[in-house]
Amino acid sequence: MSDLLMPNHPVPETPVAAIGVTISLAAPMQRYSLRARQAQALETLLKVKVPKSIGAIEGSIICLGPDEWLMRADAGTTLSMGAALPIAITDVSDRAICITVDGPRAAEILMSGCPLDLNAFAVGRATRTIYETVEIIIIREAIDRFHVEIWCSFAPWFWTALKTVASH
Amino acid sequence: MSGYRLSDGGRVDRTRTVKFSFDGQSYDGFAGDTLASALLAQGVMLFGRSFKYHRPRGVMAAGVEECNALISVSRGPARFTPNLRATGIEIYDGLIATSQNRWPSLKTDIGAINDRLGMFFPAGFYNKTFMWPRSFWDKLYEPVIRRMAGLGDAPTEIDPDRYAATYAHCDILIVGAGPAGIDAALEAIATGKTVVLVDEQEEPGGGALADPALTPWLERSLKALSDARNLTLLNRTTAFGYYHDNFVGAVQRLTDHLSAPKDEPREKLWRIRAGEVILAQGAIERPLVFDGNDVPGVMLASAARIYALRYGVAIGNSVALMATHDSGWHDIFALARAGIGISAIIDVRETVDAALICEAVSLGITTKLGCSVIGVSGRHGVKSVEITRNDGSQKSSISCDALLMAGGWTPSVHLWSHSKGTLKWRDDIGAYVPDQPNENTRCVGACAGDWNHGSGIVIDALPTLKDPSRIKAFVDFQNDVTAKDIQLAIREGFRSIEHIKRYTTNGMATDQGKTSNLNGLQIASQALAMPVAAIGLTTFRPPYTPQTFGALAGHAKDDLFQPTRKTNIDGWAQENDAVFELVAQWRRARYFPKAGEDMDAAVARECRATRTSVGIFDASTLGKIEVVGPDAAEFLNRMYTNPWKALEPGRCRYGLLLKEDGFIMDDGVSARLASDRFHLTTTTGGAARVLHMMEDYLQTEWPDLDVWLTSTTEQYAVIALQGPNARKVLEPLMEGIDLSAEAFPHMAIREGTICGIPTRLFRVSFTGELGFEINVPSAYGRAIWERIFAEGQKYDITPYGTETMHVLRAEKGFIIVGQDTDGTVTPYDAGLDWAVGKKKPDFVGKRSLGRPDIMASGRKQLVGLLTDDPKVVLEEGAQIVADPNQPIPMKMIGHVTSSYWSDTLGRSIAMALVEDGQAMMGETVYIPMPSKTHLAQVSGLLFYDPEGARLHV
Repeated sequence: MSDLLMPNHPVPETPVAAIGVTISLAAPMQRYSLRARQAQALETLLKVKVPKSIGAIEGSIICLGPDEWLMRADAGTTLSMGAALPIAITDVSDRAICITVDGPRAAEILMSGCPLDLNAFAVGRATRTIYETVEIIIIREAIDRFHVEIWCSFAPWFWTALKTVASH
Repeated sequence: MSGYRLSDGGRVDRTRTVKFSFDGQSYDGFAGDTLASALLAQGVMLFGRSFKYHRPRGVMAAGVEECNALISVSRGPARFTPNLRATGIEIYDGLIATSQNRWPSLKTDIGAINDRLGMFFPAGFYNKTFMWPRSFWDKLYEPVIRRMAGLGDAPTEIDPDRYAATYAHCDILIVGAGPAGIDAALEAIATGKTVVLVDEQEEPGGGALADPALTPWLERSLKALSDARNLTLLNRTTAFGYYHDNFVGAVQRLTDHLSAPKDEPREKLWRIRAGEVILAQGAIERPLVFDGNDVPGVMLASAARIYALRYGVAIGNSVALMATHDSGWHDIFALARAGIGISAIIDVRETVDAALICEAVSLGITTKLGCSVIGVSGRHGVKSVEITRNDGSQKSSISCDALLMAGGWTPSVHLWSHSKGTLKWRDDIGAYVPDQPNENTRCVGACAGDWNHGSGIVIDALPTLKDPSRIKAFVDFQNDVTAKDIQLAIREGFRSIEHIKRYTTNGMATDQGKTSNLNGLQIASQALAMPVAAIGLTTFRPPYTPQTFGALAGHAKDDLFQPTRKTNIDGWAQENDAVFELVAQWRRARYFPKAGEDMDAAVARECRATRTSVGIFDASTLGKIEVVGPDAAEFLNRMYTNPWKALEPGRCRYGLLLKEDGFIMDDGVSARLASDRFHLTTTTGGAARVLHMMEDYLQTEWPDLDVWLTSTTEQYAVIALQGPNARKVLEPLMEGIDLSAEAFPHMAIREGTICGIPTRLFRVSFTGELGFEINVPSAYGRAIWERIFAEGQKYDITPYGTETMHVLRAEKGFIIVGQDTDGTVTPYDAGLDWAVGKKKPDFVGKRSLGRPDIMASGRKQLVGLLTDDPKVVLEEGAQIVADPNQPIPMKMIGHVTSSYWSDTLGRSIAMALVEDGQAMMGETVYIPMPSKTHLAQVSGLLFYDPEGARLHV
């Protein structure tokens, strides 16, 4: 990427700190949507372990569905795109941003609008779900820390929602 | 003035005086009082006027079932809450409460004339009377009825309060923290499971709060609950609805009881998913049906006991009881022991338990068995009651200032019924009780019919000597429904309780018949000579009690009402004074007015600039789908009407998508990036719809195809650069792409970089000019836009919005799906025959295109319209007729779908759907408008540059 051009993020780069929680924009990353009928097909191509059960994470890869994975890797990571193979790899690095919700109130803050029982959601797992009407992907990084992937155009709304809830 | 504060007793804090006002007059109460208890303690009897007859009404209950004392509370015009039950309003310093539905004052109410005219207002009065003439509906009937038959006023300003919301999960949810709910909670916490206990009152305890004997137990139990780490207790929280799979909605009131709320949410919506739900909602005492049962001072016996023992308030100096049930006797004994004067116990039963008689004798209370109250004297408060023996003999009058009713108990099965649990009738208590659950739920305590209030008899109405057609014996107090209204409904032929309910409005008030449903059923049962169980029961629906819209909306107001989707370039548009419009959920720049310009002027300038030099447009909202896999071309070939397999990598094609029914669903230009990779575009509003439809086909019809779909709408910011100078602006910024016409023709795609950022560069045009659409990773959208804009200064580059985009595409006859089509337009109707692959064996919608009605003549077809007067811009949606002189109603042959002033052409242009329009070229049609009938000539759709010479440069 050009050194001269600055990316424009949909939410502030300054974190929101409230009692029991900090909400911040995670660093940019490389994201690939990986699709194949079987995880093995991707493993063969990418030479990495690919999780087999929905919600599981192996390294940088999350299994989101029976034939769908999301890779979240360091910015600049490139992949073999699997041309002509029965595999679909699509660059979606800029489709979403990642918001980190960190602190003892993290689960409570997300459950304000997410119908999942996050108290029963294990560390190291991920899932696609919703916050009110908006699709998100939640990754539990630690007992008190979540990553939330949200499409860019919804991010300002989501940021405001979390900020509001954190202030209550 | 008969109620007063007892010298001791109750749970109110007598050390903390609270000052408030009611109808402009100041009063004192104690912390812990409700508005009802505080006013009763001050001798106030009159709380409101009834709905229909404007009869004076007092307080009938002490809890959520209160049907008379509806009050407005004001914290200023924007924080005005009508129709609150006085029994549920916790008083605070500075509380401003007012009565409702009276004018000019509560004591002197003009509307009370309705009470004298009561015989003219039978059941179904409104339906029967206000039918004709039609012209009176809006002007007279509705406004007058609304004013006369009113509850409180709606607030007039926008609610400034904030509301919170959350989801919550627990193993066990217990609704109601009375003795049964607390017992269930104690049992539940011992299991180690997570427990949520909700209770609508300000402190848990329910009935135990009015029973000092239970105080030690209550304190012990609440201590155990508060020590339990696995229990969450939510006070002031009403579980208002019970939905599928143990999903319960509850509203917690956070600030309504505070004198000076800080900047915190007023209420919080709890959306609770529970493993098991235990309902401990309790039971509600049933009023008795007799003439005068609504006079202020006539009250439920259990309520009088609560006022005395929980709030330390005597509701009168000389209290009489009318009972059909033992529980009232126990209540009045409790009042007597609290030092309240008792006038008499009247019981319709000839015999009661000897122990009750003994206790009455020992307390010195006169008892009248086998007797009934047949009238109440006093208008604004009870002065005396008239009684007779049940056989009509021994008519006498008993002096008293309050009359208690003890008609037995009705289990609160509301939430149970929301959950679709079945009910069974119990003759002994004359009530429905829970039977078979439909969810993992059970009822405990009084709401299961399990109580120790003693026994009683169940009757429809008290015996009376009076002409039943001349008395007002109320069944539904809030809706002013009397026993004779229900009897009339049955005489008029209504049989189903659901019909009787709607005809009489019994049980249809804001209290949903908490005190009236069972009495109404008994009266109907008697009148129909059918058992109650054969008549049924009306349906309970959420909410259990009225809730504010704010609470139900939760966070979803103002900025958080609904996500407004913004592109990466949106901030630039805002800084450059764009006027925005919403397209689906997206906010898009509509036009960029310069100082002094209106929309027409701005759009004309933007159009001119794009046609003569270069315009720049944010097209990021276009839906984008990346279609990848060995079968990608095969898949698109089956989805779209036109052929895709032969499209070469590096080339683009217009794709037309039909639904199964053959009608146009969406369109867009798509590019082949590689043999197994396509970049599709869809309309802005159609993005999600198209992806869902394609996924649907892929997963259900063709699961054998090796192809996958990924939404990339948000991956790319898209900058449309359009106009004869577009190439010159772009050339210095591009790397790795030869932009020359030979190397990069119209409808092609190239990959390279722009200012160092990777791009998918489309050479496409929705304007008819030389055009490019620059796709870059969305984070860099704004930076690239600014670079292009800076470079374009040499050519007076002009940003344009959606309005100019619409005009430019209309000049070229390009359709907008959803504007020029409406879900009934085929490709042939739209003049897009060329986009239908005639040789293709199949595509979605192909079979429908062969249906006889699709092939028949007379279909509406998309054509151009040129008005005779070039200055007239037709209204979009205007109807078209062939002959303006035909009688009204005229036959409408079509309507205008798009219409603009075209600066390029110096005249107006329009598109229209017209019956057989394609065969009417050059013919005149008429567009009748209120002021004038416009003439227009049917034309083709290509208004500008029909040869496309401007594109291929």
